Amino acid sequence: MSFSLNEVEATAKKATRGAGYHWGLAEEAGKAVRWLCAHGVDGCGALAEALGKFDGASLSNITPATNSSEWYATGRTLCPLMTGTALSDRVDAIQNSPIRASRVAAPNLLLFFAANMAAHCKSVVTLEWPGGFAVTNGSDLCINGRPAGSFASVVRVLCGGTLGAPVSTSTRAEPAATVWKTLNTFAHRTYAPATEESRLKGAGAGTTDRD
Amino acid sequence: MNPKKEIERRSPETVMRLKRLGSLHQCRLSFMRILTRRMAAEHWEFSCPVFDIDSNGVGRAVYTAKGPNRSYSLVAFAHDLPPEKRSDRVIAEAWDATFTLFDGIPSAEDLDRLERNVPLQEAGRLQESELSLSRANRSVRLWRHVVEALASGKQPDAEQIDAVGYLMRTTAVYGSGKFGAADRETIAARDEFDVPFQVEMLSVYLIRTFVRDLVQHIAKTLGGEATATLDPSLARRLGIGNSTGLGMAPFIINHPVLFNNWMIVREEAIARVRAVETATQAEVDLFRDIFERSAQSISVWKSEHPAQLQKLSELRADVEALKIYIAAQDLHGDYPWDRLCTWSLTELSEEGQELVSSLILEPYPNLVDDLARCMSDSNSEAFRIDGSMPVAEVRELLTTSFGWARDLDWDKTENCARAWYVSEEKLEPRMGERFEEPISDYEQPLAPARDAATAINVLEQWPAQSVIADFLLRHPEHRHTIRRAQMSRVAPYGEIRDNTISDHILPIDMLRAKLSFFGATHFDPRSDRWVRICMYAGAPYPDELNSENADHWVYPMVSS
Repeated sequence: MSFSLNEVEATAKKATRGAGYHWGLAEEAGKAVRWLCAHGVDGCGALAEALGKFDGASLSNITPATNSSEWYATGRTLCPLMTGTALSDRVDAIQNSPIRASRVAAPNLLLFFAANMAAHCKSVVTLEWPGGFAVTNGSDLCINGRPAGSFASVVRVLCGGTLGAPVSTSTRAEPAATVWKTLNTFAHRTYAPATEESRLKGAGAGTTDRD
Repeated sequence: MNPKKEIERRSPETVMRLKRLGSLHQCRLSFMRILTRRMAAEHWEFSCPVFDIDSNGVGRAVYTAKGPNRSYSLVAFAHDLPPEKRSDRVIAEAWDATFTLFDGIPSAEDLDRLERNVPLQEAGRLQESELSLSRANRSVRLWRHVVEALASGKQPDAEQIDAVGYLMRTTAVYGSGKFGAADRETIAARDEFDVPFQVEMLSVYLIRTFVRDLVQHIAKTLGGEATATLDPSLARRLGIGNSTGLGMAPFIINHPVLFNNWMIVREEAIARVRAVETATQAEVDLFRDIFERSAQSISVWKSEHPAQLQKLSELRADVEALKIYIAAQDLHGDYPWDRLCTWSLTELSEEGQELVSSLILEPYPNLVDDLARCMSDSNSEAFRIDGSMPVAEVRELLTTSFGWARDLDWDKTENCARAWYVSEEKLEPRMGERFEEPISDYEQPLAPARDAATAINVLEQWPAQSVIADFLLRHPEHRHTIRRAQMSRVAPYGEIRDNTISDHILPIDMLRAKLSFFGATHFDPRSDRWVRICMYAGAPYPDELNSENADHWVYPMVSS
């Protein structure tokens, strides 16, 4: 089914919150998935992969330690949302010092944050993983070699690179039905179970209108 | 010679209070008036290529609006709705009429596809060729009266028309990519949609025309040749009602940059007019005329809600005081509008002050109207957090908007009595009692003041010069708050300076703020969390629209 990017962003945001991330991260996940879909990358699939993998994990275990240019998780694998936001937040430092992040799940999600960095530095940012790489200037994206897939043993992020032929952009998203269902299952966790009281009081409207 | 007076915009501390936001009135910068001015100036053409409605009032119709570059078509489906199903709740499942705004002119195949989806509303699917989705219910009382009067060859009673104000009321007008429709981003670059909510405003404008034609059609099926044609002057008094519930309230919190742009543009317009040193006779005459007409509109504004009744009684007293002021004062020289605004601060209620602030803009389209181009939000860069910002600077930004919130005892029940959540049942935003219902775990981020106060406290434990990126790595729970704080650099009017979860919060204040920018009038709260309004009452229909009547229609003509 074809979805608007607004629907994709809203669903991704709710799903991320439902998976236990804080609202600020959920907002970024929504924008990331939207940006990826707009650039023809399966952002919904990447997010479903990440949320499924880290469901129930403690955030501190999947957040990168950023003391040096070698980023890793204290748990086994880095979350792309925690890694992506940390990259975006440190763009000024990274301009002079590339980052090597080890064991990253759903690394495609990092592309949005790389684009944020590029837009901010008004230059290009390159993301490398075993067998492939992507370059973005913030609005355009080019991808080369093997797709990043659901896991990368290492991802290198550096300011600079050469932008090749950009991928074509899209104003719609067509996530796989199973992926969409997964996101909606996570999103569902943000909804409060209805009670009789909430039905009566919560929305505060009469049920019929007779004027 | 005296140096020219410096007039600054009113401060966010003054303007962004809920009570004041809940007292806003429409003005030149309202989205409906911007649309009708544009359509008249550009000589838009209107047609009704399809009107296929049977004698029971069931069928389809298409109304096409043709602008300089593109056409848009309202596709309307009329239904036979049993009375027991007529509900204004957003969770209803059947309506008297359903609509979509189609991007272009729909083919017969498009119409068939839309007929399978639009009547289902949320349960149907739209495509990128559709720009909005909406539905409306009849005012049973007025509908019956108008049909019966016309069918028997008579005109309906003007008093009954004014008592209700509309033949149909919409219960939702969705745009921006909802249910599969086109995203705003795909159409935002078009001149006609540069100003926010123009898709929705165009939809409602065409719905009003359809409703006028439908009531005439139904009357004719009953009355045959003897049926009277609805007098155009009576038809013009009819608007489209709108029931707006709690779901719209979070919008102005969730879009701080956009809401800032609306507010700052209005404040800039007010400041520009207050800085006018002398007014011409024509400007003073126009102001006096508009004031009289506005007073007339206020005199017929009805509500049964105690809070609004109180505000209306104050506003009517304000109007009387204004009449005396305007009769006694020379409005030509010595910064007349600034004097009026300054006087209003001590002599009028907030409703009255905001009425004055809106009315003084009327004689000055050359100072005001261009600002409309600054009302949308195209600043996507504002979303990115600047991680290099020192903790001290973030703290200062938070304190600027929310310093007052630090002094509030957030552990006290009355200060956090409410929580905003989304219900599982119908996926609509609701507000509940935090200490009486199991909703805290599902709370939506709609209490920026509380969250800012918490963040300030934690930030005080951090070294002033450390970068916020390090703080966020340890405290991702404050990420949304830090983003808002940084957004306030470009959006000083983006934050409401009040507690949105207190035990006395009135969500209708947030609804009114938003609806006033649409250009709504006659706000009629039906509880603390939903409001009825009327849109386009007094507006010329497409076949009447011209540059003479495209602007001031919101003010009724005063019979001499």
